[in-house]
Amino acid sequence: MKTKTILVLLAAGALWAVQPVQAHHAFAAEYDSKKPVTLQGTLTKMEWVNPHGWIYMETKQPDGTTKKWTVETSGPNQMSRRGLKKTDFTAGMAVTVKGYQGIKDPGLANGRTLVLADGRSFYIGSVGGPNDGADR
Amino acid sequence: MPSIIPALQWIEGLAWTTAIRESNWGHPIIETAHVASTVFFAGLVIVMDLRLVGVAFTDAPLTQIQRRLFPWQMSGLVPSMATGLLLCIVDPLHYYGNVFFWAKLSLLALAGINALAFHWTTYRTAGRWGEDPKGAATARRAGAVSLLLWFSVIVSGRLIAYNWFN
Repeated sequence: MKTKTILVLLAAGALWAVQPVQAHHAFAAEYDSKKPVTLQGTLTKMEWVNPHGWIYMETKQPDGTTKKWTVETSGPNQMSRRGLKKTDFTAGMAVTVKGYQGIKDPGLANGRTLVLADGRSFYIGSVGGPNDGADR
Repeated sequence: MPSIIPALQWIEGLAWTTAIRESNWGHPIIETAHVASTVFFAGLVIVMDLRLVGVAFTDAPLTQIQRRLFPWQMSGLVPSMATGLLLCIVDPLHYYGNVFFWAKLSLLALAGINALAFHWTTYRTAGRWGEDPKGAATARRAGAVSLLLWFSVIVSGRLIAYNWFN
């Protein structure tokens, strides 16, 4: 095979591979920055894990039914730096989460701000979210 | 066939896997070491494969390049596999359900088979054709397949981070 052809193929392949990793976390591929949500409810479970944590919670709908939410957070290192600890989370406690709803999954959200029952507020966002000032 | 899920749950529940999974520094360090050693290994494999397909370093005999590169390639592959195993074993259920993880493992197996097959067959006769820049047709094929497979391993490894199919 000609040298040039191989090199062109390799270069094309490299360019193709760059596409998915462009946005680092591809916030835009999974979450809708035009759909901010504020979730007031109770914590079911907190997965304090790398590389991203997950808050499982339930909110009460106006018609009385409960809706289950899965909220993506940053990892333990980032949350620790903001002052959060794994022990701050207990099942059944009241939580308020602000974030952005998932595109394909309406029960999914990318978390930006967490407010605990004692009023303490924390930034729990990941890299790649919209520039909404939540991290200040 | 019995489910493997209970076994994975047991592994997830172990103190040491939990500690790494929930760590501030442990997981980031292991993951960074995985990327660094993989990059080191892959770069050297690409050098070898470019020589195999006859595109680069053609003034050197194939056997010379292989002999010189091999220890360095292994010094990248071993930590890469060790850290890779560590990464998935501390969060087994997450990776079990990730289609890109399985794609990566399958491609990794194919890349290994391709390398072993080449070394045990075509490479044995490299003394005869190894100085020819064009080498042997089977060697060029092995090199091209190797490039494609390792490239795909890397891409699928990176895509594990995305929940596109969960």
